[in-house]
Amino acid sequence: MKVKEIMTKDLTAAEPTMTVRELIELFYQSGLSSVPVVNEEGRIVGIISERDIIEGALPGYFEVLYGITDMNHLSQKLREIEHDRIEFYMTPEVIKIEEDEDDLTAADLMIRKNVKSLPVVNKDGILVGMLRRIDLLKDLL
Amino acid sequence: MIITVTPNPAIDKIYWIEQLCLDAGELPVMRATRSYLTAGGKGINVSIFLARMGIENIAMGFIAGETGRAVERRVRDEGITTSFIWVEGETRTNVTLLERGHEQRPIQITEQGPTVPPDALKRLLIHYKRALNRARYVFLGGSLPPGVPTQFYQELTHIAHQHHVPVIVNAAGEALAHALLEKPWLVKPDTRQHTEIAGASLKTPREILAAGKEWTARGIEAVLVSHHITHDLLITCEGAWDLEARDVQFQNLLGAEDALIAGVLSATVQGASLLEAARFGMAAATASAESEELVVTDRTAIERVLPKIHIEQLL
Repeated sequence: MKVKEIMTKDLTAAEPTMTVRELIELFYQSGLSSVPVVNEEGRIVGIISERDIIEGALPGYFEVLYGITDMNHLSQKLREIEHDRIEFYMTPEVIKIEEDEDDLTAADLMIRKNVKSLPVVNKDGILVGMLRRIDLLKDLL
Repeated sequence: MIITVTPNPAIDKIYWIEQLCLDAGELPVMRATRSYLTAGGKGINVSIFLARMGIENIAMGFIAGETGRAVERRVRDEGITTSFIWVEGETRTNVTLLERGHEQRPIQITEQGPTVPPDALKRLLIHYKRALNRARYVFLGGSLPPGVPTQFYQELTHIAHQHHVPVIVNAAGEALAHALLEKPWLVKPDTRQHTEIAGASLKTPREILAAGKEWTARGIEAVLVSHHITHDLLITCEGAWDLEARDVQFQNLLGAEDALIAGVLSATVQGASLLEAARFGMAAATASAESEELVVTDRTAIERVLPKIHIEQLL
């Protein structure tokens, strides 16, 4: 089965110029926890997640702490970066897959890279959907 | 790829009831004999039709809350690419009552929809411009939710033209009047509630012809207007035709107009002339009106209805 046959055909994405506040609002309203970042043509220039935002507010947070001990500190740091562009916090190296690749290649990539979802691009590099672990599991049933 | 924009999507809930009895007793209860739930809104109905015809398309618009999630899920399940903008609030739920024997006069309760803030409008435009790079046609249709300016369709048409993509507009009132200024490829005025568009009355075939001729002279390729339930007038620079569906057994008129436009668009994409496309669209609308389904998408059922469509050239 080709990736384009099983992927979620959704183009929800962020732009590099979007602010941290706008991104948090997008995550909150849509229920998503990460989105690809695309340029004006729809080419992927990065990926950003809730984790990237938390790490942006408190660098090293996940490495240092095992639990959240001071919400006020996180809140204050978040406010400091809320108007920043997300391009400063996104991961520019994106693990993605082409729509004509097969499901086995996609599954292998997800396992090797330990990612829950893969942005899917066409042969021109334009975002055409997302492949989630659940898409693969549903395909296997 | 075709883009459909539905600024105010909905979950459409339809109840079939035996008898409407609002004054029977103190607390009237009407039991539905059947009910039907679907994602709706003009563009979404068009998207569903196109997807079932095997035509790839992207559905865009503003969605919110749990109802928005339900809309998105149902649209995706049809194999349609989604590119919705999330806003605060709740996507609307529209309720329709169809009383047995009175299916031609459905009772509809429609919600207003969530308020769209300026930043969401800005984000939709960004998504729209991006999608236009891959688009062959754009369909713009339906009511505008609070917060969306009446120039919205005009702006979207203008941007599409900058990308050399033809546009179909199916709207009413000021939203359509503004869009006309950008000369869309095809205009289908929604005359259910407003029969006057940009100062032109569209009540009678003569008035429709006059308005259609004026608009096509201004540069709009085609105007398609419904009249008397079973008739549509197609007006282009090359002529005018009256399309009539005969011997229609009405079951459900709700999605007929959307089926008409979707049929026109799908036939056009597959290379039909405007008149052929209008005939196919009229057959799709008729098949939908004769079915309990909102929009009939079975090509065989549509082609079976084609002989019921009669065309008379007027000009």
